[in-house]
Amino acid sequence: MTDPGIAAREGHLVLDGLVKTYPGRHGAAVRGVSLSVERGSMLAVLGPSGCGKSTTLRMVAGLVAPSAGRVLVDGRDVTDTPAHRRDMGVVFQSYALFPHLDVAGNVSFGLEMRKVPRAERARRVTQALELVRLDHLAGRRVARLSGGQQQRVALARALVVRPTVLLLDEPLSNLDAQLRTTMREEIRRIQRETGITTVFVTHDQHEALSMADSVAVMHEGRLEQLGSPQEVYERPAGHFVAEFVGRANLLPGTVARVAGNEAEVEVPGLGTVTATGHAPAPGDRGSVMVRPHRISLDAEAPAGSGAARGTVLSAGYTGETVAYRVRVGADGPELDAEHPSGAHRPHAPGTEVEISWDGAARLVPAPTPAPETAKPGDGAT
Amino acid sequence: MRAGPAGRLAWGTLITVLYLFLLAPIIIVFVVSFDDATFLRFPPEGLTLDAYRQVFDNADFRSALQVSAVTASITAGLALLAGVPAALALSRLRFRGREAMESAFLSPLLVPNIVLGLALLVLFAPIPLTDTYTGLILAHLGITIPYVVRTVCASLAGADPRAEEAARTLGANTFTVARRIILPTILPGVVSGGVIAFLLSFDETVISLFVSGQSVTPLPVAVLQYVEYRSDPAIAALSVCLVVLSVLAVVLVERSLGLRRSLRSG
Repeated sequence: MTDPGIAAREGHLVLDGLVKTYPGRHGAAVRGVSLSVERGSMLAVLGPSGCGKSTTLRMVAGLVAPSAGRVLVDGRDVTDTPAHRRDMGVVFQSYALFPHLDVAGNVSFGLEMRKVPRAERARRVTQALELVRLDHLAGRRVARLSGGQQQRVALARALVVRPTVLLLDEPLSNLDAQLRTTMREEIRRIQRETGITTVFVTHDQHEALSMADSVAVMHEGRLEQLGSPQEVYERPAGHFVAEFVGRANLLPGTVARVAGNEAEVEVPGLGTVTATGHAPAPGDRGSVMVRPHRISLDAEAPAGSGAARGTVLSAGYTGETVAYRVRVGADGPELDAEHPSGAHRPHAPGTEVEISWDGAARLVPAPTPAPETAKPGDGAT
Repeated sequence: MRAGPAGRLAWGTLITVLYLFLLAPIIIVFVVSFDDATFLRFPPEGLTLDAYRQVFDNADFRSALQVSAVTASITAGLALLAGVPAALALSRLRFRGREAMESAFLSPLLVPNIVLGLALLVLFAPIPLTDTYTGLILAHLGITIPYVVRTVCASLAGADPRAEEAARTLGANTFTVARRIILPTILPGVVSGGVIAFLLSFDETVISLFVSGQSVTPLPVAVLQYVEYRSDPAIAALSVCLVVLSVLAVVLVERSLGLRRSLRSG
């Protein structure tokens, strides 16, 4: 199931071993990021703050010069092309609108730079504002717009010049929760309508998984995994990805027997657990990952019918779900479980339950000393 | 703050007294300037415009006014020319010794003018730059550039540097970014910095006393020389003219920039 495609296919936008070091700072901000974005697709660069994702985006935009590596668009090396000739649309986290211009003035700026004739400029500005549903506010001062409206102006301003690539830096982080959901769909709709190759940076896994065609997870300046949202969530390449993308129970163990991709893993305190992994081998150390919502707890089931017997330690009611903490056996590992509320009466703390999970668990490789550069497709299975 | 009628009355009285205290000298000068006496006295007894006529008839005052106007205009222009790029560099660039530069630009504000004046006299006398326009303007630049740097820095502080990056990604080169994005942002700071520089130079007395002489005498120095021998309402009339000029300049700036600001937010 390895995917040679992403590396081998000539992507529309290719990052080749990008490195950024800052003088006087220990370690590199970005330590060799290589990835490829297909034409017309949307890539999310996901990672915690300080992982180098914004620096990577700024290197693509030409706002930061890489210390090493190349940026290619349509196979053409643009690493030394200055930002104003790269033809990339950028939407900044702060929106970075021009406060002395009105909405139409902001949107038309890029067209003026490209010496587009006045009549066509007016037409395209209107078009772009219609695309973001702001055509009724063309004459408004940008300081008098709401956050969501400013966001749309920034998007229209970047799109009106028909850039080859659209780059979004944390586009939704300054919006409130409700607006964020709306704008998530808006951005996705606009991206589909325009068919523009898009890269966006986010620290929000929901944003990344729901919007993007592929997700690049970054951690400490490295690319941890590049894959589809399903791959990243269901088959994380390592502990960091497993825990950063969604919640995960990670139970360290050793592979005992292997049959194809299926491994029987000895987990201390839990016994033998069957898990699928990426080319597991007997003796491999790793962790068995089970997502909390996959775990069922049954107080009525007879002992031995599930994977393990355990005791409920705590139950937290959040409205939509009940979050449990369960201890396996008397002194086994603790697990998180999460169930939709209302399906049954919540288990009270102290209840003895039979623990089971649907489907096979996933074997996540143990952390190994990371190589200096990560290759696209690494770890994806 | 919510206060009863008594509290409000006390507050009003306090404010009135404070304003009277601040404005009293100007009010007295204003009143005296219409007196018909040949010496300064308060309260005045006559009412005439003779004093104003004397001011405009006085050749010394007229040439001094010209010296001050020329000096202040050139000083303001040069202060902008030096101060605006300095402010841009200080607030937008990260370079070695940036903080040292920043303190260097603001340090003339910390040195007493009389010390500066003496130092400049010692420096200028052998060149010789004393009693020349060049010397006067150079001396005034030292005390006006810091104000331009500060006002321009202040107008840049509220601006998002990402807007400049956004302009670059939209195809604007460095020059266009400066003209289309940075200039409109700093314009209020540039205008107020220029006006402040003009007024400071126009009013500057202490340093001018040291570096000016008989041929290039700015107005404040001419006034001082005049009152050494005489003190009549003419000097009060001249003072009123200077106050009105300053107030006009400040009001003009406030109106134009205030208008701009209200346009921006409204």
